[in-house]
Amino acid sequence: MIELKNIVVKFGDFEALHNINVEVREGEFFTFLGPSGCGKTTTLRTITGFIEPVEGLVYVNNVDITHVPIEKRNIGIVFQSYALFPTMTVYDNIAFGLKVKKLKKSEIDARVRAIAAKVDLSDEQLQKAVSQLSGGQQQRVAIARALVTGPAIICMDEPLSNLDAKLRVQLRNELKKMQKDFGITTIYVTHDQEEALTLSDRIAVFNKGYIEQIGTPNEIYNHSATEFVCNFIGDINWIEPQLAQTMGLAEGKNHFIRLERLRVNQPQREQEIILDGTVESREYYGLYIKYYINVGSQVLKVIEKNDGVNIYEAGQAVKVGLGLADVMSYDAAAQAE
Amino acid sequence: MSTIKTERRKLDLSLLWKVFGTAFFVYLFFGFMLLPCLNTLTQIFKANPEDPLAVIKFFFVGNMPSFVWNSLKLALALVVTVNVVGVSIVLLTEYFEIKGAKILRLGYMTTLIYSGVALVTGYLFLYDSDGIVTKWMASAFPEFNKNWFSGFYAVWFTMTFACTSNHALFLRNAIRNIDYNTVEAARNMGAGPFKVLLKVVFPTLIPTMFSLTVMTFITGLCAMSAPTLLGYDSINPEIVRLAGSAVTDEAFPQARAALLSVILALFTIVLLTVLSSYERKGHYLSVSKTKAKLVKQKINNPVMNVLAHIYAYVLWIIYMTPVVMIVLFAFQNYEAIKKKVLSFDAFTFVNFFGTQDYNYTNGRKSLIREDAISGVFSNDRTIAGIRTSFVLSALAAALACVIVVIAVNYIFKNKKKLSSTVLEYSLLFPWLLPTILICYSYRTFFNSNEIWYVFNQNLYYKDNVRLLIIIAYAVVKLPFALRMIKAAFYAIDEELEDAARNLGASGWMTFVKVKLPIILPSVLAVFALNFNALFTEYDMGATFQSSNGTTYAMVIQSMTHDEGIGGWNINATGRRNASTVFIMLVSGLILYLVYGVGARDLSERLEARDRRRRWLQKITSRLRPRKPQPEPHMRS
Repeated sequence: MIELKNIVVKFGDFEALHNINVEVREGEFFTFLGPSGCGKTTTLRTITGFIEPVEGLVYVNNVDITHVPIEKRNIGIVFQSYALFPTMTVYDNIAFGLKVKKLKKSEIDARVRAIAAKVDLSDEQLQKAVSQLSGGQQQRVAIARALVTGPAIICMDEPLSNLDAKLRVQLRNELKKMQKDFGITTIYVTHDQEEALTLSDRIAVFNKGYIEQIGTPNEIYNHSATEFVCNFIGDINWIEPQLAQTMGLAEGKNHFIRLERLRVNQPQREQEIILDGTVESREYYGLYIKYYINVGSQVLKVIEKNDGVNIYEAGQAVKVGLGLADVMSYDAAAQAE
Repeated sequence: MSTIKTERRKLDLSLLWKVFGTAFFVYLFFGFMLLPCLNTLTQIFKANPEDPLAVIKFFFVGNMPSFVWNSLKLALALVVTVNVVGVSIVLLTEYFEIKGAKILRLGYMTTLIYSGVALVTGYLFLYDSDGIVTKWMASAFPEFNKNWFSGFYAVWFTMTFACTSNHALFLRNAIRNIDYNTVEAARNMGAGPFKVLLKVVFPTLIPTMFSLTVMTFITGLCAMSAPTLLGYDSINPEIVRLAGSAVTDEAFPQARAALLSVILALFTIVLLTVLSSYERKGHYLSVSKTKAKLVKQKINNPVMNVLAHIYAYVLWIIYMTPVVMIVLFAFQNYEAIKKKVLSFDAFTFVNFFGTQDYNYTNGRKSLIREDAISGVFSNDRTIAGIRTSFVLSALAAALACVIVVIAVNYIFKNKKKLSSTVLEYSLLFPWLLPTILICYSYRTFFNSNEIWYVFNQNLYYKDNVRLLIIIAYAVVKLPFALRMIKAAFYAIDEELEDAARNLGASGWMTFVKVKLPIILPSVLAVFALNFNALFTEYDMGATFQSSNGTTYAMVIQSMTHDEGIGGWNINATGRRNASTVFIMLVSGLILYLVYGVGARDLSERLEARDRRRRWLQKITSRLRPRKPQPEPHMRS
């Protein structure tokens, strides 16, 4: 569907993207994930045509669109700020692209109302100013406006970042549902790992203008290809050299283990090492509890499901189990580079 | 193939636009900013072909330094008093808890709706030799000098209260933006209200105060209407006098006018350079994430509290008395105005509309001049002045807006290009030059048939002068329009333009449908404010001093001349008062449209539309004849 081949983007002397290669399949929800300034938005803007690469090609359905003007790419965009035109009503915002295409008034009306119904916007809301809508409703307008012209692809640039935490979770689910309903190929940009993991079919993790890994959420989380990906996705314990030696892990490598893989006061399993520790402190999250456990050589973070029974107090002696198969190891030299 | 053709046509069009645009701005800058002013500069050295420095030498041996000194003296004096009064009115209405603050604020803000000639004539109505206050004083103290209100002190007094408009706007905003938490924190640490004012509040106001001080100094230096009307020998009135003087009457009059204009320009350039370098150092910005709204401070010391109230209301009386008196006397007949006595019997609209006969005696017999007493809208000369000012101001204000909108759109699209920086600075250039220099330069430079780029037309000749005034008005207003409209462009989210382009809109369509509606309220506000200022402006019209371009303010100025017993200039004071009322109404309406209606966003406009619709429905449902009710069935 979309293919980026050896894309290089420069801003003056600064090279923002180095040889980016991505292939997005039809109907896929594909996410560009990474910290600020890593090149994810630049890649998105290269696809949408706002940035022209100095090297490389952009293909959509095997057609080279690298030098095709923005308005002729047939790619819808939902912007970070939604970019809704403040001087127009909701109806006029959605109809804008159709008016530009000089469609008949009746057709514009039919298409606007149809898409509005799909994204759950009422007739009354269509006549309102965009500033009269809530954040969630504004997002739906932005999606409707991007979809009404019938694009082959929709690109979303951090569309949930301006919302509060509760609404973000709610809209995340709605977004996923809408994408499935419309069946449209979606490229989504975010720096939020949780958002990427819950929404995406596949994820590309960006770092300093490179792609570190492309994979499904499970592959990215459980089989991180690089130390950066491993550290960037979720919280993690770095196993310090002394403990690594105790566990018999290979030297010259950095070893990590996810918090939820550690087990407290559980019977020992195969390929598992049990360490004696003392609870230093705990953070209560409701659904789960995060413990800081001193195992002598270092403090390990552990997440335990809150079953209401096995809750450990600070100072309490506990046994911590570390499964060797759960350890992710990366060359220390590679990280130093 | 057709796509290639379309693209080529687009390219040709955009190239054409670029060439046309560049040519226009080069023409504007060189033709109407640089060359006329350079010509003024060279006049100084060309006046005496044998000695290029003759005018400068003459400057030092003649009385010309006294005009410069007088202007400097006025500017320095104003800096002190305008700041004292300006800061006072803002603190009294915004910072301290003073009873009746809303009424006080209205009084202090009257200078926003009448200024310049209109304001000075208002003060004259109270304080000149025939003024109300002077008459009271003379009746109380027979030895009282009736001509007391003239010269330096009269100008200083009038301008002190006339020039606080900027304080009322900008300092008020600055003080309202103070984070109240900082005041609370200081109070919490034991500081009293005056200590807080001095140590916490004032330091945050310093940048605004500095800007206001520089602007006040420049205003004092370039003062025109007050010195002209109140008789004070400062630079600008002297430039106008010299510009109209003949070589046969005095030595190098035009060259001396040019020299004074250049001196004024040098002062302005130095002051604005100081100001902009100071502004570049940055301002104190609140670092609070959640700013608290300022709560007015109570003056706990009862004596201080009473003194503050007295001071506030004395200031209010000074501001309000001319306004109230002008409004009241605008509706009084000729005799009542002459006697300066208010009476219900003397109530009339003749100062606005209609005419009356004028009875007078020439010493031997009583005479009647039919229709000699006329109102503003029935007096040919006044009507002509209003019409001229209205048309010239509207066209110039619109021209300035159009030029600036096109320029700023280019500047924003080409932010990092040298061409956009050059364009921006060229439009700011008139800011460095006193308006008098620009107008004087136009008057002398374009008073010739040899300027090729205006097709060898003498633009100072007959009706052409109107075009010259429009250009001068527009050029003078370019920097203000640029600053305001540029700020409006900053408010446009760059993603909006991207969104429009993504939805298929061309650059032109994006500008017309997306960007223009967003900046339109600001553009209209700039238009309205510029129109407002130009409609009653005196300085430029007086510098051009052409009978074909007599502006409204010049007509009002002529109304201050003595009224002759033969009927000459009869009822000038009545028309003057009515004119001031008219100006206040126009300015008030414009300010309401700009800050009241114009500031509404789409949601507020839609809500207003809904309200209107509901109200209409209510009215129509009441007016609609009711259907006859079916008769109730009788129960058995």
